[in-house]
Parts: sequence; C-alpha cells; structure tokens
Amino acid sequence: MPAAELADDAVANSSPPARSVRQVIERAAHLLPTQGPIEVFVHHNTLHAFEEQPFHEAVKSGLARFGAEPYFNEMEYRRLYLAGRITDIDLEAVIQDDLGERANEPIDGLGTRCEIRYAMLRHPLHIGPDAELRWVVAETDALQRFREQTTNINRSRIVSAARKWVADSDSVTGAAAELRGLVEKFGHDSGKWTDAAWESFSLHLLWRTCLNGVKSATSAGDTKAYVRPRDLLLHATGDDIDRNVHELLIRFCAAYVDQGYSDWLLPNRDRGFFESFVALYSARSVGLDRWLRRLPEELRSLRDSNATAEQAIEVSLDELGIAEPDREEFIAQSLLALGGWAGIIWQLESGVDWVVHSIPRGSLTGMLAVQLILEKQAIQDLGSEVLAERGSIAAIIGAARARLSDPVPLSREREAFLLFQVAQMLGWTPLEMQQLTAAQWQQLSEEVAEFSSMERRRIYHEAYERQYRHAALHAFARHAARRQTVDPPWGTRPDFQIATCIDDREESFRRHLEEVQPRCQTFGAAGFFAVAIYYRGAADGFYKPLCPGVITPDHYVQEDVGYTFEGVHRGRAELRRRLGLASHLFQTRSRTFLGGMAAGIVGSLATAPLVARVLFPHLTARIRRRFGSLLQPPPVTKLQLERYADGPGPSDGHIGYSTDEMADVVVRLLQDVGLTRTSDFARLFMVCGHGSSSLNNPHESAYCCGACAGKRGGPNARAFAEMANDWRVRTKVAERGIEIPADTRFVGAYHNTCDDSIVFYDLDRLPSSHREEFELARAAIEEARRRNAHERCRRFVSAPLDLSTSDALRHVEARAQDISQARPEYNHATNALCVVGRRDWSRGLFLDRRAFLTSYDPAQDDDQHSILDRILAAAIPVCAGINLEYYFSCVDYKRYGSGSKLPHNIVSLLGVMEGTSSDLRTGLYEQMVEIHEPLRILFLIETTPAAMLSILDRNEGIARLCRGGWSHLAVIDPETSQIQVLRDGRFEPFETPAGGKDELPQTASSLECYAGRRDHLPFFSIAETEVSP
Amino acid sequence: MTLESVSQMLGLVVVASPAVLLVALGVPLLAGLKLSEGVQAQLTKAAVVVGLLTSVAMLCLMLACGSRHVPIELGNWVFIEQEHFHFHLKFVFDRLSVPFVILSFVLCGTVGAFAAVYLHRERGYSRFFLLYALFLLGMVVSALAGTIETLFFGWELVGLSSALLVAYFHERPGPVRNGHRVWTTYRLADAAFLVAALTMHHLTGAGDFDGLMGSGPWPGGVAAIDPWSALAVGSLLLLAAAGKSGMVPFSGWLPRAMEGPTPSSAVFYGALSVHLGTYLLLRVSPLLDVSFSLRILVIILGLVSAILGTLASRVQSDVKNALAFASLTQVGIITIEIGLGLRYIALIHMIGHACLRTLQLLRAPSVLKDHQMLEDAVGQHLTGDDVNQPRTATGFRLALYRFALHRGYLDATLDDWIVRPFTLAFRWCDAMERRWTNLLSGGPSRESDRLSPYGDSLEDVA
Repeated sequence: MPAAELADDAVANSSPPARSVRQVIERAAHLLPTQGPIEVFVHHNTLHAFEEQPFHEAVKSGLARFGAEPYFNEMEYRRLYLAGRITDIDLEAVIQDDLGERANEPIDGLGTRCEIRYAMLRHPLHIGPDAELRWVVAETDALQRFREQTTNINRSRIVSAARKWVADSDSVTGAAAELRGLVEKFGHDSGKWTDAAWESFSLHLLWRTCLNGVKSATSAGDTKAYVRPRDLLLHATGDDIDRNVHELLIRFCAAYVDQGYSDWLLPNRDRGFFESFVALYSARSVGLDRWLRRLPEELRSLRDSNATAEQAIEVSLDELGIAEPDREEFIAQSLLALGGWAGIIWQLESGVDWVVHSIPRGSLTGMLAVQLILEKQAIQDLGSEVLAERGSIAAIIGAARARLSDPVPLSREREAFLLFQVAQMLGWTPLEMQQLTAAQWQQLSEEVAEFSSMERRRIYHEAYERQYRHAALHAFARHAARRQTVDPPWGTRPDFQIATCIDDREESFRRHLEEVQPRCQTFGAAGFFAVAIYYRGAADGFYKPLCPGVITPDHYVQEDVGYTFEGVHRGRAELRRRLGLASHLFQTRSRTFLGGMAAGIVGSLATAPLVARVLFPHLTARIRRRFGSLLQPPPVTKLQLERYADGPGPSDGHIGYSTDEMADVVVRLLQDVGLTRTSDFARLFMVCGHGSSSLNNPHESAYCCGACAGKRGGPNARAFAEMANDWRVRTKVAERGIEIPADTRFVGAYHNTCDDSIVFYDLDRLPSSHREEFELARAAIEEARRRNAHERCRRFVSAPLDLSTSDALRHVEARAQDISQARPEYNHATNALCVVGRRDWSRGLFLDRRAFLTSYDPAQDDDQHSILDRILAAAIPVCAGINLEYYFSCVDYKRYGSGSKLPHNIVSLLGVMEGTSSDLRTGLYEQMVEIHEPLRILFLIETTPAAMLSILDRNEGIARLCRGGWSHLAVIDPETSQIQVLRDGRFEPFETPAGGKDELPQTASSLECYAGRRDHLPFFSIAETEVSP
Repeated sequence: MTLESVSQMLGLVVVASPAVLLVALGVPLLAGLKLSEGVQAQLTKAAVVVGLLTSVAMLCLMLACGSRHVPIELGNWVFIEQEHFHFHLKFVFDRLSVPFVILSFVLCGTVGAFAAVYLHRERGYSRFFLLYALFLLGMVVSALAGTIETLFFGWELVGLSSALLVAYFHERPGPVRNGHRVWTTYRLADAAFLVAALTMHHLTGAGDFDGLMGSGPWPGGVAAIDPWSALAVGSLLLLAAAGKSGMVPFSGWLPRAMEGPTPSSAVFYGALSVHLGTYLLLRVSPLLDVSFSLRILVIILGLVSAILGTLASRVQSDVKNALAFASLTQVGIITIEIGLGLRYIALIHMIGHACLRTLQLLRAPSVLKDHQMLEDAVGQHLTGDDVNQPRTATGFRLALYRFALHRGYLDATLDDWIVRPFTLAFRWCDAMERRWTNLLSGGPSRESDRLSPYGDSLEDVA
C-alpha cells in the first residue's frame, strides 16, 4: 500500500513541510468568501481579497481566480449604448482620458489610436469561440455584404479600391498574386460583375488581405496556466470527479458545521474535521459507493500511523504528483472548488465566535486533507472505469493527458476577423493594407489585440459610470447654487427635527417628510446613533450586538417590563416558553416515526394556515397580530439604561451606562450631525432607527440596518432619546459646550423599511406641553410614510402605477406579510451616491433613493477635521462595502452572488444551498439585485481638498478604497458650488458645462418626478413647499 | 335520470378543467404567443377553482343521494379486435377518489397561488405553469381513473411533469442529472406497472379495476382472482408503487427531487406525487384480502421504508432533505396501514400528511427565524456545545450514523447491482460493434472518438 509507506515517510520528517502546508492554506483562505452565518448579514466588498490592487486590476484577478465576470458583457453595454444610457460623449471622453497622450498617435497611417478604439466600441464586434468564428466566416453573409453599420462613404471607398486593384492586378506579382485566384472565383470578366458581386469581391479581398497580413506577423506565444487534475480529467473524459467528491464532502461539511438543525450530531465533531472523518469512515462498511471502496483501507493506514491532517495532505500532494512550485496554486484551486463551505469553515474556526456549535482550529486543513483523499479515490476509480488504467494516479493523469487532443486555436483567424471588421468601420481599403510591412502589421494587430474584449468592457463601464457621475455632480452643483437663494422655511426654529440612518432607503422618506412639513429639519447619522450595545428585548432570550460589525460593544442594555405588569409578563413568558417547547417538539417530532404518525393524522388541520397564509396574507397577519398580542410582552416597557455598579456587564447592576458615558454618546451624535448651538434645537427631536421584517426570507438580516450588524435599530434610537432627555446628562453635555434647551424633548422611533410602518417609543413620558407638537409631527410622518411607500411601489412591477398613496401603503404591507414574496423590498439596490455634508444644499434634490445621506457641518469641525475623520472612517467602508457587494453580485450573480433565490435551501442554520446539494452560496441573490445599476459609489463630501487629502493620508482603509478606484471621491464647496474630483491622487476642478439644455429640471413635488415611471430617473430639483405662516 | 346526467356533467367538468388549462397555457406557447404572468395566473386560478367546486359539488351530490360509486364512461378510444385490446377511458368517483381529487385541487391551487408570486419575473414562468397544468391533469386523471389504462395515462403525465420540474433549473448540471435520475426510476416503476396491467388484462380480459376488486364500491370490493395471481399482479404493482413513492429501494430519488423551485418541491414531491404509489395500493387494496403473502410484503416494504426514512431524516443538516426523508417515513407508515387493512386511516393519514408537509415545505425558508423565535421563547439555546456534551461514539453509533448519512446506501447499491451491469453490458456491445465496423472500414471508424468532450480548447474562454 503506497499510501502507508508515504505516510510513514511523511511522519519521519514531519515538521518542516507540515508548517508550510498550513501556511499555504492560510494564504489561500484569504481568497475564500468572508460571509459569516447568514443570521448576521454584513455587507462587505466581495473582492476584499484583492483590495490592495486598483479596482480594474482586482476585477481581472477576480476573473482569473474565481472565473467571475468583472463587468457586464459587451452585449449588455451595447444595449445600454443604444438605449442612450451610454453616450458618444462619454465614450470619447473616457478613451481620451484612458490613453492620455497616446490617444492621438497615428497607427500605420490608417488612423489614430483613439479613432480605432472608438470605432471598435461604437459597433458590435463579432467574436465568438472558434467554432462560431468558423461558422460566421463560412456560412453567414459576413463575406457577402458589408456590415450594417458601415457608412456609404466607406463602402464606396473599399469597393473602388477593389476595382482599382482588379484593374492593376495584371501587373502585380509576388505575394499578392495568389489573391488573383480570387478573381477567377468571381468570373473572368470583371466588367460584367453586378454591384452585389463587387461588394462580395471587395469583402473577400479585404478578408484575405487581413488574413495574409496577420499571418505575416508573428504572434507571441501564450503561457500555460496550471491545470488542476480534475479539470484535465474533465476535458479528457467528460467525467467530473468533483461531482462525486463534492456530494460526499458537502454532506459531511454540512453535518460538521451544523448549528443544531439535525437531530443527531456528527460523532467526534469536537475532535476536528479530519479526525471525525477518519473515525467515521475507517471502519469497513458494506454498501459504500463503488468509488469509495478503497477509502476505509487508506484511512485506517493513516490512522494507524497517527498521521495529522497536514501529513495526509503532504501524502496526497505527492501521490497526485503536484510539483513543489504548483502546490500553492493547486491548494488555492482545490479550496475554491468548494469555496462557500471552505469559507464558512474558515470563518467559524478563525473569526465568528458567537455560534452555538464552535469548531476547533485547523478544520480547514482537515477539510482539504479529506478533499484530497476523496479526489484520489475518485481519480483512481475514473482511471479504472474510463481510462482502463489501474496504476498510480500519475499514470492515470498521464493517460488522460495523452487522450487530450491538442486543438490548434484559430487565434490568427480571430485576429484577422477582428481587423476585417474594424477595416470596414474605418474604411481601410485592401490597397492601403497591402502596402503595410510586416512590422506595421505587427503593430496593427498588437494594437487591436491590446484593445481586447476585457479592455473594451472596461472602457464601456467607465463611460457608463461617467454618464451618471457627471449628471450627479452637475445636479449637485446646480442645486447647491439654487439653494443659496432659499431661506430655511422655518424662520427661527424648526417645528421638529428628525435624525434617521444614513441609509439610502431613508433618502426618500426624508425628502417626503420635508415636502409634507417644510418646517422640519432632517439629519442623517449612522443608524446605531453612537449607542453601541448588546441588547436584550423583553421577549428575547439572549443579548445581541446592535452596532456596526467592526465595533465590539462594552455596554449591555435590557428591556424591562414595568412593575405593574410584572405578573402579566411572567405569566406570558411562561406561556411562551411552553408553547415554544411544544412547537419545537412538534417541528422535530413531525419528522420522526411515531410523532410523524400523530402529526400526519391531525395534519389536515394544517390546511387552514396553509391556505390562509398563501391566499389571504393580510388577513392572516391581522389575526396573528391579534392573538400574538396575548403572547407578547405587555405594551409598557422601559429600558434598563442606567448602571449603578462599576464596570459594564450583562449581570444586574452592571447593565447600562453611567451618566458620564451617556453624555459621551449624546455629545458624539450631536457633534456628528452638527447640531451644537442652542438656538438650532427645535422643541421636538425625533431619533429614528430602522430595520426590515419579511417572511420566509433567510436573508432577512441583509435588509436590516447595516450600522446595527444586520439587526433592527429601534432600541438604539430609544436609548439615545432617553439619554438625551435625562437632565443630569444634559448638564454634563452642557459642560462640554452643547447646551440643549430645556424645552427640547427627544423621542425615539423605529422605521420598518419593508412595510413603511413607524412606531414611537416611550410616549407615556412625553410631557403634555409637547403633546401638540408631537401630534403635528406624527401627522406629517404618517403622510410621509404613505408617500414613501408610493414612491417605492413604482419599482414593483406587481404594483400598478396608478395606485393611491393609501393603496401603496397596503401594497407594501402585504409584501411584508406574504410568505410567497421573493422581493419584500429592493433593499439597497440602485445605490450609487453618498453625500456627506449639511442637508441645506442637498435638500429638495430628487436622488431617486440612490444616495446615502450623512449630516456633517464643516464649520463646526476642528483644524484636524476630527469629526469628519471619524464620520468617514465608518461611512466610507460601510457604504463602499454595500455598494461593492451589490456591484459584484449584479455583474455576476451566479459566481459573486448567490444565484436565484427560488431553489435556496437553508443548510446547517448557517447559509443557503441551491437545491438539494451545492456549494454554500454567498453574496446577494438575483432577485435582490435585478434593478441595480452596478456603479461604483461616488462620495461627495462638503470639505476642502486639503482636508480630504489629509484624512486620506491618515486613514489607510479609506485611502485604499478612494485611491484604488474602488469608489469615486469628490468634494464640494456649497457656497461657490465648486466641485473638485479626486483623480490620480489629486483633486481637479469639475467643469460644469454652462447653461443650455443641461439645466436641472425643476418640479413642485417628488410625485411629479417619478409618477408613472419604473426605470431609473434623472435628477430633479424640487422647490420648497410653500408654507402658510 | 336527471340526477345521473348532472353527476355525469360534474364529473366531466372535474376532469376537463385541468385539461382545458393545459391547452390554454400550452397552445399559445406552441404558437409563439406570450401570455402575461397575470393571464397565466388567472387561467390557473380559474381552472383550479372550477375543478375544486365541481368536485365538492360532486361530493355533496353523492352524499345527498347516497351513491357511493359514480362511473363516468368516455368509451373506448383505441380498439384492436384481434388482440382483444381496448383503451377504455373511464373515471370513477367513490370514497377513495373524491377526497384525493379534492386534496389535489386544494394543494395545487394553494401552491399555484404561491408560485404566481414567488416566480414573478422568472424566466421560466410559463414553463413552470405549463408543467404545473400537466401535473394537475395527471393527478386528477390518476386519482379518478376507473381502468388501469386510464391510471397509467395519468401516472405517466405525473411522472413526466415531475421529472421536468426537478430539472427546472436546466442551466446547472445538478438539477438535470437529478431530474434524469428521477425519470429513470419512474420508468422502472412504469415498466412494472405496465407488466402488471398486461398480466391483469391476461387474467381478466379487461383492464377494469372491477376485475380485481369485484364490483362493490371501494373499499368493500372483493377481488375475483386466485391468490397466486393476486400475488403476482400485486407484487408488480407494489414495485411500481415503491418507485413512485420513493420507497425502498428507490428512496434515492426523493431528496434529489428537491432541486426545483421551492413550491414545486413542496406540492409535488413532498405532498402529492409521493402519495401516488400508496394511492395505487389503496385502489387495489382488495387484492390484499386475497393474498396473505402480498399483505406481508406490503407491511415489510412499509416498515423498512419508514425506518430508513426516520434514520436518514435525523442526520440531514438541510431543510429540504430532512423533509424529504420525513415524508418517506410517513409514506412508509401509510403503506403499513394499508397492509394492515386500515384503509380509512391510511386515507386520512395521507391527506393530513400531504397538507402538513406542503405547509412545512413552503415555509422551509423560515426555519432559521423559527429556530430563533423558539430559542427566544424558551429562553435558552436548544442546542449547542453547552447543551450537547461531547461523548465518545461507539462503533455501532458510527455505523448507524454512516448508514443514515449515506441514506441506507441505496443509491450505491442500485448503481452497483443494476446500473453498472446494465451499462457494462451495453458498453460491451458497443465495443463489439466498433470492432466490427473498424474491421469493415479498415481503420478507426468513428469520428466521434476523435472529438474532445468540451469546447474547442482548454484555453477557450472567449
């Protein structure tokens, strides 16, 4: 048994190679998806592994590494071009920018580089796989008719050149002489040729000229990439060993990381992946799949020699014949073959520590060891079944390689056909081209090859983004200038103020609120409102973090039931517990023998909820709420917010904040939003957290507040309001220079972005002096949420465009309650902008729910710009993370995203698979991104270029995103409307084209901007609603 | 007389409504017309509602006039005099078929309403609803079949639509392979069924169930057949039922069928088509009274399937597979009940199980949230390192776990003992043929041997 001998060898000189294997695995692990358990979905840059590289390099690395698309395909961009979404101006400008000084270099006297590229972009180039190319040349009319887009001038140029060539052809000798055979093909007497024959002849001539020309040029040989044995075998035999290997490995991985779905735990799972696999499969077992028949034997020999996972990998690498320099590549490819599962194992062993079933370190190494052992088994089986090769694995791979026919790719024909098409576009005649020397041909084909499909897509994409970016910057400049002339509608003091999350979904809500009640002022701040806590609600079992993923909270806050209701609460909690246990029993037992029997017999009763939930979701939800209220905690609760013992912690007395810490929180938020002057406070200040609730949606967490670790941010808003209302806290806040007026009251609220409901907290404690203000504010918010729902409905194809605002609200409510709804809301889809600055100059600009809005007042910042620094340190990575996750899931929802939602299947309570057995799917699903436009986010920040550059210098993470082209960055001075854009490390002024048709259209209301339309909308400037004094 | 014509009318409408739906959805597709999502959903709704109302009306009518057996004759469609064969289309409304057809309409209707929203904007929307209509028609025809030919007809429609729905996501290789496997298993069951039908035809001279069950209405019929013939026909039908219901040894296809969109898995494999096998057994249950050994066979098959299902469902870490095996357990128990002669209990069990499983499968994506809510309600973790202390596993436990994880090794066994000899035999034939043609042509005779299976070249990614 060779495995045993090699194992012994490996054990003998174990230490040095073992370490290196582990290091290689850890290096490769950085390529794996970093999504943790789906219960907490944190948006992040999908290509985090390549963030060190500039964006365009990184997406290419992504293509090489994951086989995932970097941009849309050319056809899609061409569709956008035809639809006018990408314009000629954008294309030209982007090509010029991209080439710089090289743009106007002439190429062989045929045209400038810029012209050639422009022609290649404006017209579809037909390049398929070799077989398609063969078909196009031989079977279609590519050589009979000019391409549709060829201009008449170019047609006649080429045809007349061909006529001239025929006329002169008698005198031509040498290389061109063979082209004369072509004339024979069309008949000797060229005088009798019809126009169609001339056209066809010209094209044939052009094609042969191109082909001969390219053939005379020498092409650079391409380097061969490393090929995994599985890929080699797949190409040689058509059989995929991964199919067998993965089926078993997926099942085992799922059992290994299971967080409590299955009734039986995997035996020995605490000992590690490799160890438990060896223990499970080393016994002889009758009936195991045929390809696994030698597995127990091999595992026993490994077990008897006490081999570790690393040693097993060493043995496998040797047996598979992986040479030393290829090992790193092989291991990376192997891990990525089942990247989702490898990724979650890596996350669980190294990062996530809050799961109930933890796994020991080294699990990923164990998984790789098992995977390689299984691959060996599968290769041996394939060898004996298909290749009739029963020897070593090396022999099998050799046999497969011998089988592999080595087809000659049509690279020259491909190049020639590309040139042939470009020649028609630019009117290059066969005569001109025949004059070219070999060196010139070389230059020409290099020129065309350099502008490959990938490069064309990059340019298209830049143009696609440029169109939107310029429109946006232009709109901001115009609107800011217009806002200079508008006084705040509230005179001295706003009626009320409201702070919401910076989330793009709150953009429309704020805009509508400002339209309904112009005398209100809105702010945007990260949705945890500086209250980073572990929170436990009255009906919750555990503390859960409510703060951005990067922060580990120190403080614990708990929701308590008032003294009066304690008895009721205890009774209900007990009832909940019993019902919970009963339901748990029912759910698990309905899958077993006897329990299932009973469940089956009474199962007909399930028809009622089944039919009701599917056919009458709204009614069912109402009934459920009615009865649910008997189970929920009593309506009056309070937060246990103040700590009376030293040091924060989860136990009694340690729960909560000290007043000093509360003052820190209040000061922090008020400084962030720039509300520090006593005269600026309204009598009522609302703090509104947000979240989302939908049914039958494993990705629900992805819809909630990103600043609250994918949870609902209501408790944070509630806690903040309570802190800011406390007079002791206010005294301490006043000591730090922010004097909150005595008549200002804070109220916490929670906005559900899915059904657009809003609840307010602790209204019982609102003094009656503020009752009237509150009722007015509430009425305005009611109307705003109706209008917000109405604006959202334009995106839902299943909602008619002529809905009234109340019907729209009912529509979004029904969505949230429908178990068959795959799109409860569109989440962050279409996000493309992030504005950091005072609301004054962006208020009233119609941003189509595409912008994150962060409040910041540069006038109140210090010389170090420390407030901006701390805002951006959170906002840029978070917003860019969301934006990039959407970008990648949108350009390739199959590889970067998690495919279609329809076959999703929750596995191990950790993630989703597609169908019955697949890799663990990470990223966003197709239905979530279907209306998204993959644009890198544009940050527009109200500050000076110098301040921004100094923040970039201080903050490496931000600099990487902004300087590496992962996002666009611009700064604005609203007083002068001067915008400067970051390019190549410098800020350059953004030129707004003066006046004319680019004037920003003005409307009276948001409704006027979007009514009757479902597509992406341009920018509008909405006039302030007139207020009656 | 009028009463009878009314019931004939109703019976016809019940069968006709899914057939009309199939035509209404299928013909425009053939003609290249695109129906909008709304129109397709409305058509589906109308057909299901009409079918459901008429079958309920039929039930009321039968209850009111105390009739327990209403045959609907549609005559002989094919008649071959020399062979004494006629394809006799006949439907029967009785205590077995009426509840089952009502169940089919209720579940299909609910799932149709679910899918109309769930598959919104999906590229295969029309394809899904076409297959859905096909499935519904198959279910109704098999449920109401009064002759074995009619039953076979419906049975085939169900099989075809099921296999195509498993392979619904045909751009990925997994669903297509699994759909193929389902199809193959179904064909095996069909073959057994067909042989049983021929045997029956041979024995009784007609394909009517009456020959098997006597003329009494279900379940009181008495089969006019001798025990040995009953055993022969019964065993074949049992094999067919096992294939269709995913019982041992064909259980492998049941979890593989969960590849399609969630609603189709729910209604088709979790609820309806998995019960078709047991329905067949119920239909021919008078046979069991005749042959005691057949009865024992049925009980053993049910018991083995139920035990396998309950073991396998305990180790599945994902929702759909766990529910698939849970269904298998119940189907096994229902089979035992049939074997024990508890026909009404089996019928009630079947209906209850189908409803419950449909609800569970439709709500499968909620499992995570449900789990959290339960833990919140109970106030402690239901599972975890603290709750489940590690313990050393005995050899028996390991073997049992392995057995469950590999789903009783059924797929491997079938592959080894049936598929492999089969393919080996045909490969041998192929090799012989190649030698012969090579000899004739004096050299390599097959062009296809020289083609590589994938693309033009390894590097071809353009």
